[in-house]
Amino acid sequence: MEYYLDSLSLLILISSFVLVANKRINSYIKTFRLQSFLLVILAGVIGVEKFLTEGALDIIVVCVIILALKVIYIPRLLKNTVNKVEYKVEKDFFLNIPIGVLICCALVMLVYYSISSVVPMNSGHSQVYLVNSISVVLIGLFFMISRKKAIGQIIGFLVLENGLFTTAMLTANGMPVIIELGMFIDLLTAVMIMGVLVFKINENFESIDINKLRNLRG
Amino acid sequence: MEMFILLIPLVTSILFWLFHQKKGLHIVNIAGSALLLLLAVGTTGRFIALGQDSFVFFFDLFYFDSLNLFMLDTIVIVSFLVSVYAVGYLNEEYEHGLLDISKMKLYYSLTHAFIFTMVLVVSTQNLGLMWIAIEATTLASVFLVGFYNDKNAVEAAWKYIIICSVGIALALLGIVLLYISTVGLFGDPHNSLSWVFLYENAGQLQGSVLKISFIFILAGFGTKVGLVPMHTWLPDAHSQAPSPISALLSGVLLNSAMYGIIRILVIVNKNLGSSVYTGRMMMALGLLSIAAAALFILPQKDYKRLLAYSSIEHMGIIAFALGIFTPLAAYGALFHMLNHAFTKSMLFLCTGNIFLKYKSREIAKITGVLKILPVTGMVFLLGIFAIAGLPPFSVFSSELSIIIASFEAGHYWQGAAFIIFLALVFAGIVSSMLKIFYGNNVGEQVTPGEVNKPGTVVIVIMLCIIAVTGLYLPVQLGDFLSAAAGIISGGR
Repeated sequence: MEYYLDSLSLLILISSFVLVANKRINSYIKTFRLQSFLLVILAGVIGVEKFLTEGALDIIVVCVIILALKVIYIPRLLKNTVNKVEYKVEKDFFLNIPIGVLICCALVMLVYYSISSVVPMNSGHSQVYLVNSISVVLIGLFFMISRKKAIGQIIGFLVLENGLFTTAMLTANGMPVIIELGMFIDLLTAVMIMGVLVFKINENFESIDINKLRNLRG
Repeated sequence: MEMFILLIPLVTSILFWLFHQKKGLHIVNIAGSALLLLLAVGTTGRFIALGQDSFVFFFDLFYFDSLNLFMLDTIVIVSFLVSVYAVGYLNEEYEHGLLDISKMKLYYSLTHAFIFTMVLVVSTQNLGLMWIAIEATTLASVFLVGFYNDKNAVEAAWKYIIICSVGIALALLGIVLLYISTVGLFGDPHNSLSWVFLYENAGQLQGSVLKISFIFILAGFGTKVGLVPMHTWLPDAHSQAPSPISALLSGVLLNSAMYGIIRILVIVNKNLGSSVYTGRMMMALGLLSIAAAALFILPQKDYKRLLAYSSIEHMGIIAFALGIFTPLAAYGALFHMLNHAFTKSMLFLCTGNIFLKYKSREIAKITGVLKILPVTGMVFLLGIFAIAGLPPFSVFSSELSIIIASFEAGHYWQGAAFIIFLALVFAGIVSSMLKIFYGNNVGEQVTPGEVNKPGTVVIVIMLCIIAVTGLYLPVQLGDFLSAAAGIISGGR
């Protein structure tokens, strides 16, 4: 059991490295879908285990919702948005990809050292889990600031959320189910609103390059 | 019965979609917010009359004590006044062809959904649900910030949703960590995020996990509060939103996010047995916010942006007071929240009238407000002095009690820095804003005379409130505030 969870949390971390190495918007969306699918497997493993030991179905429900939302619905929504606003392929990052990957390695090390200094978290599996999943959160944040296009920022935000779900799943076997449901509703609404705003940015600025949003300063 | 406080704004928000006439929309708006006001004040009155400490309802998810009833009342009173103002404001814009019926419907519906999310933030005791509600406040207000749909408004809306969503996601990490620190101990996932349960068992939580959790929550909810350096969305959103929305954002949204920090702060301080750890962070962020606001206020060219920076300053003052964490400081912080809510909403509503008249947000293009808009101009002038902290207005009295609390607690340097920064802010606000009140060379298209009559009545009422509470606080209100402050400082 722990072997599966260890390797799954590591795979989720690796998928976020893959994301940083992606160049095109369509490949980000694919990587995000892959990462969400890994999250579904993770939730499935924990859910089945909990069902067999306690007879509780809540994590399996959460797993199905993640599958429907993050693997199927949100990637499709983003893909449609991209098809409508993206006319030409441009360079979309501020930093070179190798530098980006190196920065992400540094982030993982930083998380490792910070978690090691906190007493009840620095032993056994929970340390591995926390290091992997909090690194995903930070890599998501880094991804948001390293991309110029609005879609890149949305993907970064979604990866950050994936990191949070992984943390909650692995270390606390998920949050109470009502909270999880509320979080999914919030996430879905947020992504839909961001999608609408991408269209509005495209209308007003004739591009979805966030660098052009510079009217309001000081 | 209490459930209606949550249901009314939600139902009102949906009800707008059944009406297709301007008059119907206005009536639903006024009726919805008036009903909410009556219920909330009635609940508070009964609560005080029965002398209760707290009560829970709806499967223990919701909880009222004097702290969140105080927050709730601030929210509903300000929202009621803003709703009345909005009727006149939207009518004026409608007559100038700036919006049509369907946009007005959208405005009202989202505003009431926004009020609902804020009421949800302050009435729940489940910290997870509170997180969901704080995220929902952002989602409900994004399209209100981007309401005018031009370049600047869309930019402000994008910054608002991205920065606040990321910040709040970090707060979720904090809440997950808080949850981890309880699950290992009690193993009952049902109520391990309930505030009352956590507060009663605060002593047994794992302190080291709580410390990390507090950092994430402070950074996360602090983004929504607008503490420097997480404030960058705030001036854009406040300046681009329609004025009644700016009034709600600044007056009550920031307070509800601060309420989220307060609840966690109390648990962490009770667990650690002192307020040194949290106090240092809160006071540092508070002083940094006040100092940054003092710097940024001086070069502002847009009067709504200037007021937005002043909101950052006032949130800094509240964070500073919560960092001191003595009973007097907690009282000062809550009293300051109340005063800031009324004074700042009043100022933003005044800027709405000025904007309707002059069609410009630039300080340089506006002269002779006192002559063109005699009532609004007078209220705005007095309000500027009030927000800058001049007696006899209520902001002065709460700032004074925070300064006294700071020196009593032995924070001499911090208290001195606090006073100096406040003086700088005072000079900055007054010297930038005084220009707009006098002068004669107003353009030809600007004719003297008030716009938005119901709105003008509202701002005069608000001015009366802040002037009276500055001089004399009714005994019941004072006791109520002390009881709420006792809940905060009970975590010592």
